[in-house]
Formats: sequence, structure tokens, C-alpha cells
Amino acid sequence: MEAYIFNLVNLIAIYAILAVTLNFIMGYAGIYSLAHAVFFGIGAYTGSWVAQNVSPSIFVTLPAAMAASAVVSLLLALPALRVRGEYFVAASLGLQVLAVTIFSEWKGFTGGIGGVLAIPAVRIMGVEVYQPSQFSILSVAMLILVLLAINALVHSSFGRNLRAIRDSESAAASFGKNVPMIKTISVVISAALAAVAGVLYASYLSFINVETFTLDNSVLIMAMVIIGGTGTIAGPVVGAAVLLLLPSLISYFAFLPQTEIGALQQIIYGLGMTLLMIFRPGGIVGRRAGK
Amino acid sequence: MSITLRNTFAAVGALVCLAQPLAAADHTIGALFPLSGPNAVYGDVFMSGADLAVDHINADGILSGPLSIAYEDSQGLPQPAVVGMTKLVNVTKVPYTLSAFTGVSKAISTLAMRNKVVAVNGGGVGPDLATLGEYFWNVIPLANLEVRAIVPYMVNERKLTKVALIYIDDPLGQAMEAEFETELPKVGAELVEAYSVPTTAQQFSGVAAQVRSSGADVVYVASYGNQQIQIVKQLRDNGVDAQLASYSGYAVPDAFALPESEGMLITGQGVDLEAQDPVTKRFVTDYRAKYDRDPTAYNINYYNATLLYGVLAAAIEKDGNDVTGEALLNKRKEMGSFDLVGGTVTFQDNGTLLFPIQVKEIKNGAAEALTSVNFE
Repeated sequence: MEAYIFNLVNLIAIYAILAVTLNFIMGYAGIYSLAHAVFFGIGAYTGSWVAQNVSPSIFVTLPAAMAASAVVSLLLALPALRVRGEYFVAASLGLQVLAVTIFSEWKGFTGGIGGVLAIPAVRIMGVEVYQPSQFSILSVAMLILVLLAINALVHSSFGRNLRAIRDSESAAASFGKNVPMIKTISVVISAALAAVAGVLYASYLSFINVETFTLDNSVLIMAMVIIGGTGTIAGPVVGAAVLLLLPSLISYFAFLPQTEIGALQQIIYGLGMTLLMIFRPGGIVGRRAGK
Repeated sequence: MSITLRNTFAAVGALVCLAQPLAAADHTIGALFPLSGPNAVYGDVFMSGADLAVDHINADGILSGPLSIAYEDSQGLPQPAVVGMTKLVNVTKVPYTLSAFTGVSKAISTLAMRNKVVAVNGGGVGPDLATLGEYFWNVIPLANLEVRAIVPYMVNERKLTKVALIYIDDPLGQAMEAEFETELPKVGAELVEAYSVPTTAQQFSGVAAQVRSSGADVVYVASYGNQQIQIVKQLRDNGVDAQLASYSGYAVPDAFALPESEGMLITGQGVDLEAQDPVTKRFVTDYRAKYDRDPTAYNINYYNATLLYGVLAAAIEKDGNDVTGEALLNKRKEMGSFDLVGGTVTFQDNGTLLFPIQVKEIKNGAAEALTSVNFE
């Protein structure tokens, strides 16, 4: 039982990192991205490749994955962030579709549709970490580090710039802020930190394929942020926990018939989400709950 | 009141003590099937075969206690599958689990290996499923075996020596392309063209034009789902009149109903539903009675996968040992061959079942067996 719980803790921590990093641009800078799973994927594929071909040490895989994700996000951010609001959503959607095609076709790097098998367990100081209980220490520690980094950023002058851009780009620009530059840096930081989740995910599961890095997953990460509460530190973590725990909890309802459990899970899950948004529209820990 | 409480506790304690040996004798295996999402229909199909095997094993009383299956919803996706597999391994503590879908099978294979839990695939046919370690078994002949069966038939019986291949750009298609490259020269035939098509492609008039000019005697289609139907239809619409051929993935009602499928050669697991061996006869009779339809290969495979557990676990218990994943693996290697639906079958060293493959021809919307190929 402990291993199962630790397994859920690991997945929650990994998805919480993704939600926290998406919230950094979405909640604080007002940049709505539908391509977060792409940076998750770039981190996972790069981490896997480095682990298999160079070293599975976390001190090698993490920097490599973060650098790769940051470079790709820069390519997206430079042209796309010159547009506002829904235009960036469209641009990020384009990147998501393009990335899935590349993930499927670049077989030498991603294994194509078949994915990457036998990814080595992450190694820290020569120790392989793959048991759910051991890994949970690593995943939770990485989540805390990411939270601390994001918290420090949003409470710095850079964070104030982000909020100013979120509330009014024109006003921020009129005060002399370099809006495209600030937005670009925030997207690069978000993507690089999302790659951390990718490295952890790939080494923990030991197998990745394109199915995990599709638009569905980008929407799921966005749902975690919205349901937890945008623009808050704890919200994305709570959102990730709720969305990942609900299906597992429902699977324990012994009174549900086995053959119908899948459909009933979907109904209960969807209903719960709808009710939550009706009664807590600002998210579970959102500041503007009930408005 | 205190006496009543004490008595109650004593009664509960006694019941718990009595229940322990019974619970220890119960057998539970796992199953990671898509029970929700777009592939949920497959979950129902897989379950119908596995559930019938449970009925038979329990009716026969071959195990020390009743067998049941703990189903977990994989949604046909790797991540939910890993969550489900972790639950099966660590909470339900199963020694044996049924698996379906390539992504799911690959994702759980590491967990199976690390925890010494047997995982058995009865649905996917990609040859890369034979490389997932000794705790991952396939009770379905993989697609490379089907190529090895049809190539000699095409060349020796039909004199079709120039082969054009249209294959889906995924591990299944790539493996079949490699198989043709290896097998055709052995019988004096050649692969004149090989066209890879993306998984999402639905327009094939360009491919058809190239096939026409390739001079191929036979066009082999290695795809699945709606795409394979579109390929066959558009080949004929675009004037390709060469012999068409495919593998077991083509054996679906929509493909059979297509007028353009008439005369196609396909291969598939060689199961004679009218066979008189007791296992096949009982399965077919009871399946028809329970579900009011003929069984498909998927029903047979998951019935066989579950029956295999019953046979192995019964033998292990007979030896006086505990039924663990490791014991199941060792017993499988020791026993060698098994009487399952379709006859007596043997496992290859890589954990994949060797099953006879039939070469069939589609006639009047149904597949008619032409010959059966046995592999040693």
C-alpha cells in the first residue's frame, strides 16, 4: 500500500511542478499557453537521451533538459510574445501540434510512436533512485525547490513587472517596461523548470512516448492551475493533487460495478469539476473565490 | 454492555482468524484494460474472454480457492496504466496481470520486471512486444510470425514474387518492413517498393499511383484501424489490380464488408472453432451460450491468458509452493507446452506463444482458410 501511495505522491509532485511553472506565466503574467506539455516532453526526451547516452546522474540530466527546453521556448517566445492574449494561445497551440508531430517522427531521439524504453533510473551521488518511497523524497524536494524559486521570482521586482503586464500591457509599456523581453524571460524560466518535471517523469516511469505530451496533457495541466487557483502559490499544487487523486479514489468505490467503473469514474469526475467551478470559480485556494 | 462488547470483539477476532486461511487461498490476478475513454470498447471485448476462463477455472476447482480478476482502468494510456499497475502490485498484490495496448504494455513492463509480476499481452501484435523482459509474455502470435507464414504461400502457391509494401510508420509497420526484407530473398522474391505512411494519413492516391508503376504482383498492407480500409479502397479506386494481402489486423467486420476486400489474402491466428479438442470445444460452446455470438481472436487470447494462470498456479500448488510471479515464470519454462483454445501451444524463449498461423482468403465478406502454417 505504501508504494502505491508514494507512487501517487510522485506523480502529484511531478504534475505540481508543471502546474506551478505554468501558473508562473499564466497566473502572474497573463500568458495562456497550451503548449506546456511540449516543454514537459522536451525535458523528458532530453533527460532520457542524456541518461542513456551520457550519464543518468541528475546533475547531468537536469541541466541538459532545462537548457534544451529553454532554447525551444525562446524560439517560440521571441516571435509569439509580440502578440497579445488569444493570439499567443493560438501560437502555443500551433507549437503543441508541431511538437507532437516531431515527437512522433524524430525516431532517433524520441523513439517515434513506440517511445523510449528502459530509461535508466535517476542517479544521485552514485545511488540509483527508483523505488516509489525513495523517489518521493526526490520529487517532493524538487517541487519545494521549484516553489521556492517561483516564490522568490514573483516577490521580486521581476514579479511586479509580470503582474503589471498581466493587468495592463499598455500601462506597463508606458512606464518604460520592455514588455516583450519580460514576457520572453518568464516563458523561458517556466519552460526550463517544466523540463525538471520531464526528467523526473521519464526516469521514474522508465518509459515515455508521445501519448503523454499531447494537447490533452497541456489542457490537464491548465485545468490543475485553474481548479487550484491561478495566481497563487499553493493553488497549482492543490489542483494537481485533486485531479490526480480523484480517479484513484473513485477506483476504491467497491460498490461500483467493475464493468461500468470506467464510465462512472468519468461521470463523477466531470460532475465534481463542474460543481467546483460553479461554487469555487476562483479555484480551490483562489483569491477571488465566489466572485 | 461490556460483556456484549467483549463478546463482539471475540466473535470478530475469531472470524478474522478463520478468514485468514480462506483469504490466503483466494487467487486474484490483475487486468489493465481500457475501461473508459475512446478505447473502452476493447475493454469489454477483452473482459468477456477473461471472465469466461475464471468461470471455468472456478467451476473445475483446480485451484485451492476461487479465482477473481481485479480490473484497473488503463484508458489505453501509459500513465494511468502505471498507476493501475502499481496498485495491482502493491495493494492487491497480484502475481500475474493481463495487459493490452502497446504503450500500456511497455509502460508496465519495467514495474513487472522489478516486482517479479508476470504481465501477459493478448491484444498487441507489434514484434517489439517480444523484447520487454522475461516477466512479459505474449499469448498472441506477433506480426512477424504472420509475415513468415504468408511469404512462402504467396511465392510458392500463388507465384507472386514482386511485393510492394505499404506500412504504417510506427513500430508495427517498421518491424514488418524489416521482416519482409529478411524473408522475401529466402524464397526468391523481392520487395520492389516499400511506402511508409504517417499514422494519421487518410489520402493514398499518390501511393496508389506509385504502386501501379512499381509492377508489383502483390501489395501488402501493414496498417490498422480506418487507415487500412482507406488504403485498400483507394488502391482499387486508383486502378491497382494486383493481389492485395494483409495481416490479422485486417480481420475486422468493417474491412470484411468492403467490396474491395474481396479476394484479399490475410493471415491470422489459426483457431478452428469447430475443433473437437476439449478445451476449444468447451470454450466455443460456453462463449456462444453466454454472449450469443462467435468468439474473436481477442476473446480467445484473454481466455487463454487467464486459463494459463489457472494451469500454472494449479501445478505450483500441487508442488506445495506459493504462487508468485517468479514461480509462475519457472513453471511456464518447466512445463513447456499447454493445452489452450486452438490446440497445444508452446512458448518461445522470448515469452511469446507459438501459434499456428492460417493463411486465409476473403470471400463473400468472410475469411476462408486456405492453409495453416505451424512454427517450431
